[in-house]
Amino acid sequence: MKLSRRRFLQSAAAGAMLGPTVFNHALVARSLAAIGNRYLVVVCLDGGNDGVNTVTPITDGSAGLRQAYDAQRFDGNGGLNLPVGSLLPIGADPNSGAELGFHPALKALHNLYDQKGSVAVVQGVGYPDYDLSHEVSMGIWESGNPSGAGLSGGWIGRHLEQGYGPSDIPAVGVEWSLPGDLRQSVTSVLTIKRLQWFGFPYDWEEWQDVAAKRTAFEGLYAQAAGTGLASFDFAGTTGAATLVASEAYPALHDDYEADRSEMSARYGAIDRDLADDFREVAKMIHGVERGVPNVGARYFRLSQGGYDTHAQQGGQDVEGRHGYLLKELADSLEAFYEDLEDMGAASRVLTVVFSEFSRRILQNGNGSDHGSQGPMLLIGGAVKGGIYGNHPNIDPAALNPDGNTPYSQDPADSFRSVDLRDVYGSTLKQWAGMAHGDILSHVLALDSGPSGEYWTTENFDLDLFVP
Amino acid sequence: MGDENTILDENGVRHVLRRTGFGAPPKELAKVLRKAGKTPTRGSVADVLLNFKARAFRPRGDYLYRAHNKWVAKMQKPKSALQSKLAVFWHGYFATQSSVVGELRFLSTQIGLLHEYARGNFKDFVKAINRDPAMMLMLDTPRNKKHALNENYARELQEIFTLGVKDLHGQPNYTQSDVVNIARCFTGWTYDWKRGTPEFDDWQHDYEADFPDRGPKLLFQSTGGFGSAGRNPAEQGEGEDEIDHVTDILFEHTDSQGHNTVARQLTQRLMSFFCHDAFEAPGAAEIAVIDEVIATSGFVGAWDLTRLLRALFTHDCFFETSSAAPYGTTTRKAVKSPIDFFLTTLRLTGVKLRTADARVFGGSYDSAYGHLSQMGQVLMEPPSVFGWDGGTSWLSSSALMARFRFARDLTASREGGGFRPEKLVDFGLSDPEEILDAVLDVLGIPDQVTEAERQIYIGYLTDDGASPVLDLHEDDTKVRGLTCLIIQSPAFQHH
Repeated sequence: MKLSRRRFLQSAAAGAMLGPTVFNHALVARSLAAIGNRYLVVVCLDGGNDGVNTVTPITDGSAGLRQAYDAQRFDGNGGLNLPVGSLLPIGADPNSGAELGFHPALKALHNLYDQKGSVAVVQGVGYPDYDLSHEVSMGIWESGNPSGAGLSGGWIGRHLEQGYGPSDIPAVGVEWSLPGDLRQSVTSVLTIKRLQWFGFPYDWEEWQDVAAKRTAFEGLYAQAAGTGLASFDFAGTTGAATLVASEAYPALHDDYEADRSEMSARYGAIDRDLADDFREVAKMIHGVERGVPNVGARYFRLSQGGYDTHAQQGGQDVEGRHGYLLKELADSLEAFYEDLEDMGAASRVLTVVFSEFSRRILQNGNGSDHGSQGPMLLIGGAVKGGIYGNHPNIDPAALNPDGNTPYSQDPADSFRSVDLRDVYGSTLKQWAGMAHGDILSHVLALDSGPSGEYWTTENFDLDLFVP
Repeated sequence: MGDENTILDENGVRHVLRRTGFGAPPKELAKVLRKAGKTPTRGSVADVLLNFKARAFRPRGDYLYRAHNKWVAKMQKPKSALQSKLAVFWHGYFATQSSVVGELRFLSTQIGLLHEYARGNFKDFVKAINRDPAMMLMLDTPRNKKHALNENYARELQEIFTLGVKDLHGQPNYTQSDVVNIARCFTGWTYDWKRGTPEFDDWQHDYEADFPDRGPKLLFQSTGGFGSAGRNPAEQGEGEDEIDHVTDILFEHTDSQGHNTVARQLTQRLMSFFCHDAFEAPGAAEIAVIDEVIATSGFVGAWDLTRLLRALFTHDCFFETSSAAPYGTTTRKAVKSPIDFFLTTLRLTGVKLRTADARVFGGSYDSAYGHLSQMGQVLMEPPSVFGWDGGTSWLSSSALMARFRFARDLTASREGGGFRPEKLVDFGLSDPEEILDAVLDVLGIPDQVTEAERQIYIGYLTDDGASPVLDLHEDDTKVRGLTCLIIQSPAFQHH
């Protein structure tokens, strides 16, 4: 049975009962973290990003891709068709040889792709028996667990459980609520939307009472962490880590603004939420790089909402709903990359961009409905830029009855899909230093079922990184 | 095993008020005790609470935060806390975002519907939602036209509002073809922008004869218990009534075990909301309880929500979260939602939201909108069509920090309408144990605190024994600080 997002979060919370929950405040990294001096940033495009209008065929190649695209994406008022001339070329589809291009709103990402060679486009990423429900599909991408095998928590969370203890804070979501990929039950994962607001709120008019309040607060949350009742344990661990972080993290904002005000203004000029979120990640990396005590986060999670473009999606216009979002994404990624370059960290930070599904090829009125597999993006100084995986076969005759491109693991199929677990596994193995066998026993589960239709053989060796 | 005749003591009634409303302020408790008979029972208390006038309340405003704050302010002193709480439940159930709808007046009309149908007939409720302009805008109904189907509403109607993707045994409840055919039935529906009323545009409707390649609008040929013939909502006549036929068919749908799918799905959602998280992912034991509540209520066929809620509020499962501290691995507790936490705290401490901005006058001087958005629950702007996740997702560090900040703001507020501990606690008390008991009483959790936690509070009050006797008239710092700590404590985040 597949897990819905609610159920998956629930099982992660229940899993908390199994983990050790004694919290100790000495923030000594356990050093089992094989990610070393690198960082992993995961960005979720929430709502289902239209993949075929992110990476779009310019020519037919051997698969008639452009022709099929033109037949299903219309010109004119409300049309989603991206004219050939507007696309930003990125090279040829490995399978069909068709020339491909980015949506014109991805200009800034194209700069990174073209000039720095630091963007990998992994096409046709999906999972078997794809689900068209946002909730179910997001649960699968976040858990990395399409078959519903007995794994609780998120794919990054399960990885963190193997390398960190309760007193570490290895991961921070720049979010209001804890994202599913980071869920786990062993270590402390925080959400911090804005560092500058993260100081612990004492009544400073009664400053002489603050120390007593802190002691009591710390005691109450330590008590809760040992209750054995899942949500009390969760509250206890999170509250205790929050207190510690509240005394270390807010200063990162001030340090960054003092040291890097020019870069800060660069994000500010983009004037969009996602850019501000990336700036928070930069502030934390800046802190870790400078060895600030009690600051050791190396995994980050952000999200950008609004991709559920059933209607008024817009075509090439960067002011259209989809173009507007993609521009925000690309501009933010570019500013972040330049910031990291300037910090000397660009080759040690990997940003992975995913969405819970793509969208139907055949447009509806002026939008598009839920689809199946779509492209992922990996960005970083150590990323081997280029196109990976095959463009899905969008020929109307080849689509499933629901109008979506089929998922396939058949080696003989020239449109074979990439399974999301291959991307996750390659990232964990090659970037986060997790052993192949540990990934298979703790993080990602192989499917049972016919090998052509399910993920029965792992490929964690996607050649995505510069050695 | 208890039932509707089980007698409730005062703590029991308090529990019912906490879970069906926002805390149990002394005045409300007294009122319910007065009305529920000499020996209140689960049934008599439920009847008192469910006997509210289901009037519409429509929070209006030019801007989201205005309408939002009006709604929150209304709930601070509602005619019926249960009606308010049910409206919040339905708002999460038929989740609609003002940012998607655009027109606040439409959303405010929808909020009115949620109040009106709060304990009404569920099938009529769904039929009203089908025609609600805010919902149409949320899920693209007006863009669903005969030549260009838009599946958005058809999918969510099944997935969220009625059936669920899978039944309680993991079997699918519908297929993609059901999504498409229901979308066809909904073609042509739109709304009048000026009047904000639903309209049917016959010209945009998919008539079977016009689309022979699409075939008849057959539903549920492989699920639903209708046999391989399935059902066709167009059989009883095509056109604007089709969406009602669709709804009728959805309510007849049975799951892989032959149970009514809508009843089970809705009851599961209600129990996750009013009881605890185990009902989010029900095992065999929880499924049995869900079925028991449905059977007792006679909900199937009648679709009367009052009956379903009464069966729920009188069942043992509703009282599982009432146990006293200390807790263990088998204890059931639920995390308070931000709305719950915020309103309960205000109502119990007697702090009033001031001005049109519904501000808390202390600390950050933030408004209800500011506090709740940082805690992760802005009304009229749920995160998605799925509403709020609930449970431990409310307890992320950023959300916890917002709760801590609110507790600080509230207990530091000394200005007009602010926190007046001298009105709640006898300032003549000097014994720390008695002061602690008094504050725990005010906050309604005297039985929810362990001995170890008591020692921590006493340590705080006495500065670890340095000042074993307090003079609150002289200095109210400690009673304010204690109130703040209790509101920030793990126990107070639960109910």
